[in-house]
Amino acid sequence: MADITSSTSKANGQPQGLLMRLTRELVRLPGIGQKTAQRLAFHLMKTDTEEALRLAEAIREVKEKITFCTQCRNIAEGPLCAICLDPKRDTSSILVVEEPSTLHAIEQSRAFRGLYHVLYGALSPLDGVGPADIRTHDLENRVQQGGITEVIVATNPTIEGEATAIYLTKRLKPLGVKVSRIAYGIPVGMDIEYADEVTLLKSIEGRRDLG
Amino acid sequence: MPLVRTRGIILRSLKWGDADRIVTVYSPNFGKIRGVARGARRMKTRFGGVLEPFGLVDLSLFQKTPESLGQISQIDLVASYSSIRENLTVMTAAARMVKMVEAITVDRDPNPGMYTTLVHGLKSLRPEADVALSALLFQIHVLGHTGFRPQFDSCTECGQLAKQHIPQWFSPRLGGVVCHDCGQRGVGRMLSLSKGSVAFIEQARRLSIPNLSRLKAIGSVRIEVETAMEAYFYAVVGKSLPTFEQWVS
Repeated sequence: MADITSSTSKANGQPQGLLMRLTRELVRLPGIGQKTAQRLAFHLMKTDTEEALRLAEAIREVKEKITFCTQCRNIAEGPLCAICLDPKRDTSSILVVEEPSTLHAIEQSRAFRGLYHVLYGALSPLDGVGPADIRTHDLENRVQQGGITEVIVATNPTIEGEATAIYLTKRLKPLGVKVSRIAYGIPVGMDIEYADEVTLLKSIEGRRDLG
Repeated sequence: MPLVRTRGIILRSLKWGDADRIVTVYSPNFGKIRGVARGARRMKTRFGGVLEPFGLVDLSLFQKTPESLGQISQIDLVASYSSIRENLTVMTAAARMVKMVEAITVDRDPNPGMYTTLVHGLKSLRPEADVALSALLFQIHVLGHTGFRPQFDSCTECGQLAKQHIPQWFSPRLGGVVCHDCGQRGVGRMLSLSKGSVAFIEQARRLSIPNLSRLKAIGSVRIEVETAMEAYFYAVVGKSLPTFEQWVS
């Protein structure tokens, strides 16, 4: 176990030198503040060398070996991702998401058994993000190659997500595929009386037949 | 003043951190103000779908000092202008409007005239209307509200009355018309601006926003005015506005 006192300033208890460097690197991570970074740095210093190096090795391997699927742009460890390689998947439908993190959230729900397409962003009229800035052309090419009957747009219910959904509908409908949008409205478990005007409007617009 | 309560239009809503949003609101009493909506992107957020741009909201914002980024404690939707979100062209016109206001104003500088213009401008956007023209007319008004009204009565270089010099040129850098003689000497980039185009801009400036739908601009006048206003706005704020052509690929 490393000597903690040697890396700690006697004056104010702040980490010094190498430990400071580790703290600075950790604080760059999302959701990690100065205090948490400092706590993690001290934990890594106190932990077994083997365990700490396993973490370092995992980070190195992710950076060196992870690529992007040539078909759907999901993260992969080879030319194609595990989803595109899975023979049990329904290859006639594509679900379009903004980021790989959304794809993984949907995968965890097991609600969709088709293929995906990751756009890496959304169109933004406010920020001047146009179709050439995200992977809309790749999606059009996939649909043009044939075999796809439905494209489900699962972009966020924001101005950017809406703009992307409208644009994709305009581009993909003429190619003869069904283009649908995931439903949005009242979250499960919520009291309707607390819903805002936009959510209520969307949930009434997106209502469906019962029975 | 730690607690700010005001009505306003949401100009921008930026993702921040893991689950927050930074919202920029333009209000009649406080001008442009910003605040953090904590947890706004989480499933069980109390802000719901209220934080999207173009919405008219009632806002409660807690700020320790006027310069600090406030915390949004409550925000209620007054009008969503939901038709804006249903069409890319309308959305782009609305984006041009809010971006103009965001780019040309500074924080905490109230301008009730600008606020009213923005509300009327967003209200006027309908899919069946000429929204590009609405955005252009809005642009002319916004420049007037902020002291950047282009100068058309005399040459911006030598001060001679403009009427003596036809045809005229427009200098985006100087912010007005340039007479033939000064134009010949060269005062930077100049754009052609006919008498008809100047008359159109002057008329647009005089009419109130709800009455602007009476104005029509076609052909060369439309092209000249659009080009001149776009270049002048860029010269003033140093930022480009979203274009209607960005969706054509």
